[in-house]
Amino acid sequence: MTLRQYAAIWLASIRYTLVRTMMFRGDFLVWSLVELMWTSVNVMMILVIYQHTTSIAGWSEYQMLLLVGTAMLIQRLLMGFFWSSIFEMGRNVRTGDFDFVLAQPGNPLFMASTRKIDPDGLVNSVVTLGIVAYAAHHLGLHPGGVELALYGCLILSGLAVHYSILILTMSLAFWLRNAQGIEGSYFTLAEFGRLPREAFRGVTRILFVWLLPVVVVSNVPARTLLAGLRPGWVAWAAAMAVLWLSLAVFTFNRGLRRYASASS
Amino acid sequence: MHAALNKYRCAFLLGLQSNVVYRWNFAIRSCFSFFQLAVVFVLWRAAYQSSPTMGGFGFAQTLTYFVTLIIVQFFIGAFNEDYQINEEIRNGLINQFLLKPINYFLYRFSIFTAARVVSGLVVLVPLAVAMPFLGHYLVLPHGAWRLALGFPAMAMGGLIQFTVAYCFGMLTFWFLEIQGFIILSMALESVLGGQMFPLDLLPAGAYRVIQYLPFYYQSYFPAAIFTGRISGWEALRHLPIQAAWALALFGLASLLWRRGLLRHTAVGG
Repeated sequence: MTLRQYAAIWLASIRYTLVRTMMFRGDFLVWSLVELMWTSVNVMMILVIYQHTTSIAGWSEYQMLLLVGTAMLIQRLLMGFFWSSIFEMGRNVRTGDFDFVLAQPGNPLFMASTRKIDPDGLVNSVVTLGIVAYAAHHLGLHPGGVELALYGCLILSGLAVHYSILILTMSLAFWLRNAQGIEGSYFTLAEFGRLPREAFRGVTRILFVWLLPVVVVSNVPARTLLAGLRPGWVAWAAAMAVLWLSLAVFTFNRGLRRYASASS
Repeated sequence: MHAALNKYRCAFLLGLQSNVVYRWNFAIRSCFSFFQLAVVFVLWRAAYQSSPTMGGFGFAQTLTYFVTLIIVQFFIGAFNEDYQINEEIRNGLINQFLLKPINYFLYRFSIFTAARVVSGLVVLVPLAVAMPFLGHYLVLPHGAWRLALGFPAMAMGGLIQFTVAYCFGMLTFWFLEIQGFIILSMALESVLGGQMFPLDLLPAGAYRVIQYLPFYYQSYFPAAIFTGRISGWEALRHLPIQAAWALALFGLASLLWRRGLLRHTAVGG
């Protein structure tokens, strides 16, 4: 299949999901509220902590809001574009319904991760973008077109890393008899992305900044808005995206070999 | 009486067996909970660098609070009981309980208790591994009264958590898809139940209001007793409120069960 055909399939899935969302408008509203609530929870935590302190690892309140907004923007984009499909993948592997994906004439990972989108997640990515803009306004930042384009590219590389981590997590379903609830592990890892890199020291710095890239992928775009371009950091973020995406594809394919199917 | 208890004992033992099968799931989840503790450690240590105390508590006390909260959650938290009930109602598996002399609430509660025994014991493994790193940060206050009040508060907190999950499961009689409600409630619980920050860091007025909500009594209340965030007098004053919430939620669960069954259609032989 060509890239054009893959794009056509994804667009068809998006169209189908939007029609379905319009059929279940109440559901859409509840889920939008859920996402909004989680965004508010994270912002509230920052506000409460800053009532008792003036800085977290040298980051002021609005700088932290900018970082948290950026981390949540990446996560909301993941929720919007891939979450439902990948979450169902774990369940389908357990029940045997994954056969349906394998029977389709396309790359199984692509087919499994693009079956549907979550418009509520995408709506909330606009909310998180609003948080970033609000924090930037309070910090007196006026990024130019180049900085904004770079910020967008870094958000996309962050999305690739988060996608990879979620695929790695859900691929455990191929090895575990019951992977229910395992998706919570991804959310735990994603929480590190809301912390400033400077807060990590010693072992935690090695583990969470250099080995697991969730801190880098949110800190680099936030830092780019705050202090301008740092080529070394941008190169590191891009390299992480390529490396983790490769690891996710490799693990998914290894897991696929263990899939026993449910067909008689 | 003995026969009645015996069937729930059997349900408990069955629950124990089926949850031991999924011990690796609990083990992975508990390991990730300690990753969550790493987030807490990094964030609060950095925050305490600019301010040695927050709300009258130092970094060690706040870290002790979060460690205690995680352990308490693994012993009394409702993990996926709401989803299990949801699936039993949706798939019609609940029909078998309608024909047998068994109370569905007590049956589910027996399974929940068994699951918490397993998850509670499993969480002690990563805790033991983390102890060499965490040990010197932990400061638990002395006083046997904290255990005497904390354990009943923990038991009632477990009952509240289970009953809330049971009520959400009951919503399946009205709505096919309840996941949205559950995750909405999880977001509320994470703030109002003290999972994001100790509730006493909130402005005094907001803290007072939260003390009258059920979320406060789920796991924050026992964890706060164990870690010295509330006084003995305050704990004694709030135990009856916690009991009242447990009773009220039990009443709500019974009502939802009775009303839900009126809407339920059992199909098939």
